[in-house]
Amino acid sequence: MNILVCVKRVPLTGGKIVLTDDERAISTRHLGFTVSPHEECAAEEAVRLVEHHGGESAVLTLGPPEAEEQLRDMMAIGVDRAIHLVTGGEEWDPQATAGVIVEAIRAQAQPPDLILFGNESADAGNYQVPIRVAHALGLPCVTGVKAISATDGRVRCEQEVESRRDVYEVPLPAVVTVKEGLNLPRYPSVPGRLRAKRKPVDASTPTRPEPRLEMVKLRVPPGAGKQVEVLGRGPEAAPAVVGVLQELGLV
Amino acid sequence: MLAAAIAAGATLFTLRVRLLVARVRAAAPAQRTGHLGRRVRNEATIVLGQGKLLQRLGPGLMHTFIFWGFIVLLPTIVIAMIGIVDRRATLPWLGHQGWYALLDDVFAVLVLVGVIAALYIRKVQRPRRFDGSHLGEADLILALIATIATSLLLWHASRIALGLNEWPRHWSPVSGALSHLFARNQATKVLERAFVWVHVLTILSFLAYLPRSKHLHIMAAAVNVWFARTGPGGRLEPLDFEVPDEEIRFGAGTAADLTWKEVLDAFSCTECGRCQDACPANATGKILSPKLLIMGLRDQVLGGAPDTPLVPDAVPEESVWDCVTCGACVQACPVSIEHVDHIVDLRRHLVMVESRFPSEAEPMLRDVERASNPWGRAQSERADWAAELGVRILEPGEPAPEYLYWVGCATSFDERARRTAQATAKLLHRAGVDFAILGPRESCTGDPARRMGNEYVFQAFAEQNVRVLGEAGVTKIVANCPHCFNTLANEYPDFGGRYEVVHHSELLARLVREGRLAPARQPELAITYHDSCYLARHNDVLGPPRELVASVGQPVEMRRSGKETFCCGAGGAHMWMEERGRAINAERVGEAAATGAQTLAVACPFCTVMLDDGVQATGDELRVVDVATLLAEATDGPAPAEGE
Amino acid sequence: MILTFLTDPQDEISRQAVTLAQGLGGDLEAVTLDGIYAPAAWAQAIVDEIQAGAPEAVLAPGTDRGNEVMAHVAAMLDLPLAANCVSVIPGQPASVTRIRWGGSLLEEANVHGSPLLVTVAPHAVEAAPAPAEVRCLQPGPDDGVRVLEQVQPSSNGVSLIDADVVVSGGRGVGSAEGFAVIEELAALLGGAVGCSRAVTSAGWRPHTDQVGQTGTKISPEIYIACGISGATQHMAGCKGAKKLLAINPDGEASIFASADYGVIGDLHEIVPAISAEIRKARGA
Repeated sequence: MNILVCVKRVPLTGGKIVLTDDERAISTRHLGFTVSPHEECAAEEAVRLVEHHGGESAVLTLGPPEAEEQLRDMMAIGVDRAIHLVTGGEEWDPQATAGVIVEAIRAQAQPPDLILFGNESADAGNYQVPIRVAHALGLPCVTGVKAISATDGRVRCEQEVESRRDVYEVPLPAVVTVKEGLNLPRYPSVPGRLRAKRKPVDASTPTRPEPRLEMVKLRVPPGAGKQVEVLGRGPEAAPAVVGVLQELGLV
Repeated sequence: MLAAAIAAGATLFTLRVRLLVARVRAAAPAQRTGHLGRRVRNEATIVLGQGKLLQRLGPGLMHTFIFWGFIVLLPTIVIAMIGIVDRRATLPWLGHQGWYALLDDVFAVLVLVGVIAALYIRKVQRPRRFDGSHLGEADLILALIATIATSLLLWHASRIALGLNEWPRHWSPVSGALSHLFARNQATKVLERAFVWVHVLTILSFLAYLPRSKHLHIMAAAVNVWFARTGPGGRLEPLDFEVPDEEIRFGAGTAADLTWKEVLDAFSCTECGRCQDACPANATGKILSPKLLIMGLRDQVLGGAPDTPLVPDAVPEESVWDCVTCGACVQACPVSIEHVDHIVDLRRHLVMVESRFPSEAEPMLRDVERASNPWGRAQSERADWAAELGVRILEPGEPAPEYLYWVGCATSFDERARRTAQATAKLLHRAGVDFAILGPRESCTGDPARRMGNEYVFQAFAEQNVRVLGEAGVTKIVANCPHCFNTLANEYPDFGGRYEVVHHSELLARLVREGRLAPARQPELAITYHDSCYLARHNDVLGPPRELVASVGQPVEMRRSGKETFCCGAGGAHMWMEERGRAINAERVGEAAATGAQTLAVACPFCTVMLDDGVQATGDELRVVDVATLLAEATDGPAPAEGE
Repeated sequence: MILTFLTDPQDEISRQAVTLAQGLGGDLEAVTLDGIYAPAAWAQAIVDEIQAGAPEAVLAPGTDRGNEVMAHVAAMLDLPLAANCVSVIPGQPASVTRIRWGGSLLEEANVHGSPLLVTVAPHAVEAAPAPAEVRCLQPGPDDGVRVLEQVQPSSNGVSLIDADVVVSGGRGVGSAEGFAVIEELAALLGGAVGCSRAVTSAGWRPHTDQVGQTGTKISPEIYIACGISGATQHMAGCKGAKKLLAINPDGEASIFASADYGVIGDLHEIVPAISAEIRKARGA
């Protein structure tokens, strides 16, 4: 199987979000970075499927030069090669993102059998890039998948809906978006990391079209204006807590 | 016939020794050179002086008698062999010295006293430290030693009875007394021959048996002590990732990966179990026994296939993770075995190559790498504890302060530990010390990753921190946390970072001594101080925290204090791992409560959290508080209550 | 005309979309689809409606299904889609405020395209009553992507999504066994047990218990968060809760900034005490 995983470099935000002075980005000065959690599971699944069925996996990202770190992290757990669509760190809206991903996929010598995405990115959360990519390529798309298995050119996908699972089965090639919980991503070994340093990254610099969903500025929500009512300290607060629960009709 | 016996004994001995030496030489390299003066001192105090053994007086004396007996009586082996060939001949010069005859008697008796004491310990007292040791082997060795000493005395006694002695009877008080058992007759002549043959044959059998048993320690130990670590106890040996990938040694996965020092360690083990006794994990019902670990490795080196994985074949997996790297085992070991190095080496392979480690530690490893602290909190919040305290945060390009206050992750993010930093900052301000913190630019020193075995991640942090400190022009560091202190002072020099590092208790104690801080002492306030392993045992910082305690109240020591301290349980990355069996921290809290003090002073954020957790579990009336906080309270009144 | 696609006319989040749609002024047409879910086919039915009715804007709830169908609609019409919006001002370009980071950040954006395609962020506005008239559209043949079967969860007990009470534990719980006190309280209140991402990564609870941006997003009457610091990614999962009670030893933990009630201290002491008080109150 030939599997492509698309990932996005996002900051690890912590307890509160701080913006840059121009309010058009998050201040990442002291933040670490990672791949969106859904996407980590996608990469792990790609590696497992290739381990099981043979073939090759690749990871792709549209992001700044620093995003190479995320590509190497994915290759450290076993993805074979990487494609880096290098940006200057500016915002790319969902249609533009989907467009360059489609171009990159079409440029591949061998078209992928399975294209995996995270259900939504941790930061922008637009929920649409994978579906747009699927449309452009004329491929079926199943989203929100928590379990996936492949046999004979078809994939069986379990989509989490509330507390049940809805089952789909589609022929390959297909686009599938997955959610965290699909698997437990492995911890990369150091030999794996060292090998990843030497794996190939195919880098190119696409041109960004004009955004049709155009971010103007960001702002931190004011918070619900809540002033927490401290019911007490330690176990002595238990009666006060039960009082609140009774008011809410839960006890 | 003697020649044949000697040849047989010597050959069996040599064949085995060659095998052992081959194992040592085939092992992975290790750096154990330099510091000759220190090494000579170690040989003198530990080997000749039996220093480590005498940490326990009774068993120590027992062994000293046998050890020195062996040394003093060595020439008697040759004398006996000469005596077999020619009944009247002896060693030139020494064989004719009356004082040597006296020494022979005295030490032969001391050896027997030692053997009897050893048997008493093993058979009557039956200490737990022998659980798992090969007791049968020990009994045989003691029997052989007793036979050698007894046959020597009896041989001398029979010679005196036959008038073969050169010097008056009173020069050999014991042999002389025994000689009354023998008449000057033909029977005694036969016995004299019998005794010397028994003596020599026993020695030759012992020679052949020696390298095949734990008695090998008599040769290996002296060498092992020579090659023991001479640097600070808390420093781990870095791995080299700069060599080609195939040549990188990722710790110890199979017996072939062990370094020659680790192999020598295994050969030096006498199965005495002092390490097992000292181990806090073992004391609280965990599987780990440092002794069994070394024995397991030894058996694998000697008998196992070179490719079999050490974990779990030689060492149970659980025991590798039980260790808190407190070093009590290393301190207790009379032959300078370095168990912590072994355990970290095993962890290195498990973590870096096999990704096999307790799953609850995985978030910590990922967070350290991605968020630069083991709690996964945003670095931007790292200096939140200092808000409103007017603490200078050193920005890039600004001139370095006299002291860089390295706060550490635990102190920055834990609500109990951060009070220590707040107290220390206030005290340093009051004393007019020029200091600053790095704030969000201070990342984890990498200590938890390193103790877990992820040397790769650790080195990335070491290099990064050394760069940041170098660019900031930092020369002096006061570290809040003993783990940071240990890493900054002892481990960062391997990565080009050389600083003058003190622990916060050292700096504060100096300020009190100099009168720049004047605490009001409460003589009726009984305070017991818990030594942090990384401060006291690994780094010999014992006095300054005690000075602080004495300056604010009345110190009272726990049973296990100073370098004998009992771990709080957080070391070796255990802050992030679950604990099976009884809790180490509860054990220590019990010891603190037994002193009658109601204040338990600490000098480490991990000890703060672990012991406070322990107090909450046991319900004892103990206030766990850092020495800095105690000093702050004594200097300007009680600290604001939590939450104000 | 504003076209509103309701995934379920009775569902709270669909009705929140109605509220936002009503706020835009003009006529409101509400449609829904039922039967076997097939996202592209459902989207096509909506596209047909759009082509027939030429609405100014099309709104849908920002649920997984709402977002999925609208993304298909957007792809089919080659139009931008503003997902998870909290406010909308029509125009050329239209101006929307949408959520990022599961709600911890807001984005103000201009949308260049007509009609305006929007999904409405859950719990951003009050839910309107179900519209009087909701037309049910019939989807055409699908492209092979449709639900073949539905597998109900095998576990008994209340599900996180449906629970009125969720009691959650974070890193502070300390171990898998430590969750016993959390389970006890949840059981007493007839609620579900949740956890933070650190807990799932540590292997103490399965991912199905995880509350957060990449876990389950819940909206109970009360969310009791024990030993959870309040990272944005976790808060994104519980902002639908009507009330939040935080139990944490650190009085300065960021969760208290979002909590209605707080107790400062060790959950291992406090949670059992609450359970005991509840039993007392019930006269057990």
